Amino acid sequence: MFINFFYSLRDHGIPVSPTSFLRLHKALNTGQVLSLKDLYTVARSTLVKSERYFDSYDQIFAHYFEGAEMPPITDLELDEIARALLEEWLKNPAQMADALGIDESTLRQYTPEELIQYFLDRLKEQTKEHHGGNRWIGTGGTSPVGHSGVHPGGMRVGGSGGGMSAIKVALERRYRDYSHQGPLTQSQMGEALKKLRRMVPSGPRDVVNIDKTIYETMKNAGEIEIVFDKRLKDRLKVILMIDNGGWSMDPYVHIVQVLFDYARDQFKDVKTYFFHNTIYEKVWEDPTRYKKPEKIITFPSRDLETRLVIVGDASMAPYELMYESGSIYFEERKSKASIENLKFLAKTFRHAVWLNPRPRNQWSHTWTIDAIQEVFPMYELTLDGLDKAVNYLMLRN
Amino acid sequence: MDTTDRGNSFQKFQGASKYVLDEELAKIVNVSMALEMPLLLKGEPGTGKTMLAHAIAENLSMPLIVLNVKSSMKLVEALYQYDTLTRLNDSRFGDSTRDVSNIEDYIKMGKIGQAFVSDRRTVLLIDEIDKADTDFQDDMLDILDQMEFDIIEIDKTMKAKNRPVIIITSNAKKDLSDPFLGRCNFHHIAFPDTDMMKRIIAVHFPNLDRDVADTCIEAFYRFRRIDGIEKKPATRELINWIRALKADPDFDVSALKRGDVPYLGVFFKKSTDLAMAGKMVARSRN
Repeated sequence: MFINFFYSLRDHGIPVSPTSFLRLHKALNTGQVLSLKDLYTVARSTLVKSERYFDSYDQIFAHYFEGAEMPPITDLELDEIARALLEEWLKNPAQMADALGIDESTLRQYTPEELIQYFLDRLKEQTKEHHGGNRWIGTGGTSPVGHSGVHPGGMRVGGSGGGMSAIKVALERRYRDYSHQGPLTQSQMGEALKKLRRMVPSGPRDVVNIDKTIYETMKNAGEIEIVFDKRLKDRLKVILMIDNGGWSMDPYVHIVQVLFDYARDQFKDVKTYFFHNTIYEKVWEDPTRYKKPEKIITFPSRDLETRLVIVGDASMAPYELMYESGSIYFEERKSKASIENLKFLAKTFRHAVWLNPRPRNQWSHTWTIDAIQEVFPMYELTLDGLDKAVNYLMLRN
Repeated sequence: MDTTDRGNSFQKFQGASKYVLDEELAKIVNVSMALEMPLLLKGEPGTGKTMLAHAIAENLSMPLIVLNVKSSMKLVEALYQYDTLTRLNDSRFGDSTRDVSNIEDYIKMGKIGQAFVSDRRTVLLIDEIDKADTDFQDDMLDILDQMEFDIIEIDKTMKAKNRPVIIITSNAKKDLSDPFLGRCNFHHIAFPDTDMMKRIIAVHFPNLDRDVADTCIEAFYRFRRIDGIEKKPATRELINWIRALKADPDFDVSALKRGDVPYLGVFFKKSTDLAMAGKMVARSRN
């Protein structure tokens, strides 16, 4: 039952697993699903495991069981679907190639970026010209785009249950707010940063060390000798350098700073500095980059285990980065080339990353991003990127 | 599969005295119980995720066992604890009734262990699972899947006498790991809308004047809509606020209607938020 519905969900990038599909059938057998609305609820709770997909689910459900028009897919949604497809592809290329009717070996030569593009192109083809679902997601015309969905009209047996039909509920698109990965919010950032810590013993000795206690007791001929240890506390230092000049950074500066402040009780100290476009001789403690300069040359005197996080779009004219006296500010004209300063920082702090708020697929268009990427590992300023950056920062070596 | 009247053999969950249950959620709870699967609840704070477990326990009159997950927690702590210090002490002084040579005397059950050894079916609430790391989460679900765990020290397998009703909550915006999600049913509790909120308030304050309730709820949603608030007030704050108003003999609903809002501190726990809300109140009064 509902096999096509299942594939519709998959085709729209909702990661539904066969196991969960079987579980749905088990649920149907419990005698608890008496109406279409029940089906809507139960299928969602068994199949869909994140509120991000609730909106897509609503639309597909409405289409499948009532034949409602699928709203045209926006580019952003396409983007997400393509990404999901890529993930599937990476997990099991053979199966995907088979399902899509394409040659696995041709796709194997593509880079992930090219693959995404390829998926995007095919998806767009699909949305534009719909020939019975054969162009792309070829599961026998089950694509929910258009009016080919199966419509089992006789499902509603137990009354509409509760005044609002499932279709109506589904059509409300109550979960639209959750569907996109929108900008990073504070709580999301806090989540990602939780992992960024270094536990060292500190404070009073008030935790019993059992192994040592037993050892000491034995040594003491059975007379109990209890050994206490200090608790582990996080003592990680973080230096944050933020590019706060240039219009492209404006939307991000605030959230980045607030959130590092947010995480302050986790870190022993967070130092925030500002720069414009790239780093020359100095960075500033005040956002106006005027009152409290700090010379780059003094940084090696700090704790070298400090984690350095630089946030910036890394986009500028190549000469700003590469030439001596490349600064756009006159008073900085005497300095070394900025790239040298960056290399100096990277050498000083072995745990350093660059977070870039620009979407990764735009990176290859900017020369300076490439150049900086050779100095610092660069991650997207998204939940995912932040996660990876934190993992990198916590590597031992 | 045998479908005849299986649904009836399960106890069904219909809401509790202090918990307003929407029908959708009731269905999900019942199906999860029938499928014997843990139910994972997400949603912003104050949407009643934790309350749900309390309500289920009350409604089905099962004991509730709460495991508050902490970031430093190890899975074994949730299962059982081997009290070495007491044993060491007993072996030295030998003045207890416990048998020092029997390690089992020194095994204490953790929260999950308690749910397993309980003679009655229990509701096991695993609160804020997102605080623990991924390994904890996955390993825990293994145990909840198999309904058994080993006590290494005494080489004994503990099997669950009764499969507990498992409710797991998570505040994280981030998704949990795939294997974890694969083994749970999932529901996201949206923030209650005005009508739902009226019902919730009516349950908590049965004698509250309709007019007062509506005015309070309206004010509450107005506060939630303020831009730039860091921590939005949730249901809990509203209930506390109404409680405060009720306790205040000088409270006058017409003043509230004019935009004069007392006890803002109940709503806003952060000083910047409070300042912002204060400004808004001052503006609306003029």
